[in-house]
Amino acid sequence: MAGNDIALMAHLMRRAGFGATYDELEARAAKGYEATVEDLIHPEGQPDLEMDILERYFTDWRDLIALENNQAYWTYRMINTKHPLREKIALFWHGILCTGNSKCEHGKQIQLQLDMFRRHGMGSFPNLLLELSRDPAMVFYLDNCMSHKDAINENYGRELLELFSMGVGMDGNPNYSEDDVKECARAFTGWTITNAIPRYPYARYESQFIYNSYDHDDGEKNFLGESGRWNGEDVIDIIARQPATARFVSRHLYNFFVADEPQVPAWQNTTPNDPDAIKMLEDEYFRSNYDVRSMLRVLFNSDFFKNARFAKVKSPAEVVIGTMRLVKDFTYPKPGVHPIGMEIRYMGQDLMNPPTVEGWHTGKEWIDSGTLVERINFTADQVGNVDLPGVQAIIRRLGSEGATMSPERLVDGCLEMVGAYELSQETRDKLISHAQKGGELRTGTEEFAGSVGQMLQLIVATQEYQFA
Amino acid sequence: MTTKILGPTFQYSHSIGRSEFSGPGFRHPVALARGEGDLIYVANRSYEYRPDGKRVTVCTVGEDYIGEFARGAVVAGEGEASAADGSIIWPTSVAVDKDGSVYVTDEWLNRVSIFTRDGEWIGKWGTQGDGDGEINRPSGIAFDKDDVLYMVDSLNSRIQKFTKDGKFLGKWGRAGSGDGEFNMPWGIDVDSAGDVYVADWRNDRIQKFSPDGQFLMKFGTSGSGDGEFNRPTGIAVDKDGTIYVTDWGNERLEVFSPDGSYISEMTGDGTISKWGKEKLDANPEMWQEREIAQGIEREKLFWGAIAVDVDDEGRIFVLESARARIQVYSKQAPVFYGGRL
Repeated sequence: MAGNDIALMAHLMRRAGFGATYDELEARAAKGYEATVEDLIHPEGQPDLEMDILERYFTDWRDLIALENNQAYWTYRMINTKHPLREKIALFWHGILCTGNSKCEHGKQIQLQLDMFRRHGMGSFPNLLLELSRDPAMVFYLDNCMSHKDAINENYGRELLELFSMGVGMDGNPNYSEDDVKECARAFTGWTITNAIPRYPYARYESQFIYNSYDHDDGEKNFLGESGRWNGEDVIDIIARQPATARFVSRHLYNFFVADEPQVPAWQNTTPNDPDAIKMLEDEYFRSNYDVRSMLRVLFNSDFFKNARFAKVKSPAEVVIGTMRLVKDFTYPKPGVHPIGMEIRYMGQDLMNPPTVEGWHTGKEWIDSGTLVERINFTADQVGNVDLPGVQAIIRRLGSEGATMSPERLVDGCLEMVGAYELSQETRDKLISHAQKGGELRTGTEEFAGSVGQMLQLIVATQEYQFA
Repeated sequence: MTTKILGPTFQYSHSIGRSEFSGPGFRHPVALARGEGDLIYVANRSYEYRPDGKRVTVCTVGEDYIGEFARGAVVAGEGEASAADGSIIWPTSVAVDKDGSVYVTDEWLNRVSIFTRDGEWIGKWGTQGDGDGEINRPSGIAFDKDDVLYMVDSLNSRIQKFTKDGKFLGKWGRAGSGDGEFNMPWGIDVDSAGDVYVADWRNDRIQKFSPDGQFLMKFGTSGSGDGEFNRPTGIAVDKDGTIYVTDWGNERLEVFSPDGSYISEMTGDGTISKWGKEKLDANPEMWQEREIAQGIEREKLFWGAIAVDVDDEGRIFVLESARARIQVYSKQAPVFYGGRL
């Protein structure tokens, strides 16, 4: 068994990032758990990817014109980021504050929205909503550019309340009325974008947010029981103060970072799995003046988080990026990034193109017979490739334990190396009996490397490995 | 009264190109070379999931489409000899020899592919490594007047000289930021005297060498002011010795005197090209969208100015990777004014 510190660090890095190699876990564990949490929630000022080098080799990443360019770029970014939580937060908000390429003027616009999540995703929640309301991809996706003073389009107003901030209801009661939706939409009239430059002949340019005061309905509005000549900023301030918003943000954070909750549409009528944990997060939401970073600090340092090991089904992005970080492939620019990004799509998560504005259903809904096979095949192909640097590092590390290795130790050692995984007794016994077939293992031989690769393949094919 | 010389100055002429995966147009073009007569060869990198867009487009200065060659390979490992002859994965540069044959470097396959002026594949050379004559991610190439080929061997931080069929003739340079040292160099050109200019990309400077690699001069430093660079990519030297550099990170072309002193910059004056007009005529609703588009003046500006070439008629060709376009300028003779010389 790996030490508790390593096992806990592996848990933290799976949730607050995309997993880590054993070397990284050791280094972080040496620094300490709480210090690591602080590092993760404060990426600002730390060095990031060198975009000049990336754009030199991936020429298309300067203008990021289409969905697939953006998916490749984000995939590479998640694999190589030095700020795993910042990237994870972008993924978190992308699954909630959704826009999709299926209705998008220009693929790069969603990437720019992700940049906004990277900048503001751990800051003030109302500020994030404000940025979202001004985000050109969102303004276009939910038709706010079609909402006018004399003819409102309710789309953005409705989703801002239902899917982005409060949710339809909680504790069995609705959180807002149809009138609130209309008043909200009125407050956001005039929040629009520039007319786009058509894509022929030289391809797209970025759209920009503009506030058209002539098209803004400046009249009196009654929103969530408060009356005034509200504009969008006022509406967001009112939303931020609602207990429902605290509940909604807390439940989403819990569902994404701690343990799978029921699907979002059921939240009005289902209580949280862990009401005390949600209460702690709600309290911190108000105490910190709606600061997501403060909520994350409470969350990661809590017992409910530390005790929630393997309580979540990995999302496709977590499967693919976690595997690539483990095997340490694509750590420098080379062809082949796009097919790696496509694996995430094949497993059911077409990044930057969610099925609807509700995003993806998560938890066990990620898994069906097709996506499970896809997961196992992809992961097993990668960890079984003993030429990859991360797999070689595992082989070297285990090999350094002595001239020979017992079958039991091979199984347990490989489990440690992939992130201190634990198997049911039955599964572990099966792996040990498989390892015994080859007799005593002599480290430093080619056969040993093969045995490690094969054992890693068996581990990633287990039910347990589908959990984070 | 003092006699003053102004200039040279530069007049925008026209734009060539549109964004296309095949036929008239370019897709993420990275390099260009003026060929015989009015020919222009443009190497298109496209991107991974559209290997069909990887190709060399041949057109004229007047934007007549001539054809295309060198198709994109779908899958091949680094330096892999199995990639089909004449295919490309990560093209970086194109150059034309005295016979009109066309040389295309590929920094993934670590090879030079050779084509006739009409695009028929006639040969290849290149071996990955760091020994003499071996290459690691070749970037720019340029011929001197005797068809000696100078190559930027970027990850080996050096310049290598070859015969046009790939026989090693010499090398210079090493990693660093001192004179004669390089940090991921990119573009290269040879002037009429045979001296060699290198865009020392990550050192944000230009270095000039004699044909045998003796350091002669450098200019430029990191920044966005006059004469400064943010990752210079392409370089070209005209018959008068005027030096043109695509200042990639600053989205501009900078122009220098033969001694390296700053003359001026261009940031783009793009207009609708002939091919662009054809595309818009086929999609007339886009003419209407352009009428109401906001910020359409952005279309004039360079986006991804990545390579530059000049010809003996004083025309300057600036290639933009992100806009799939060449903006053509013409050099105006220096203006003299004041008293009689």
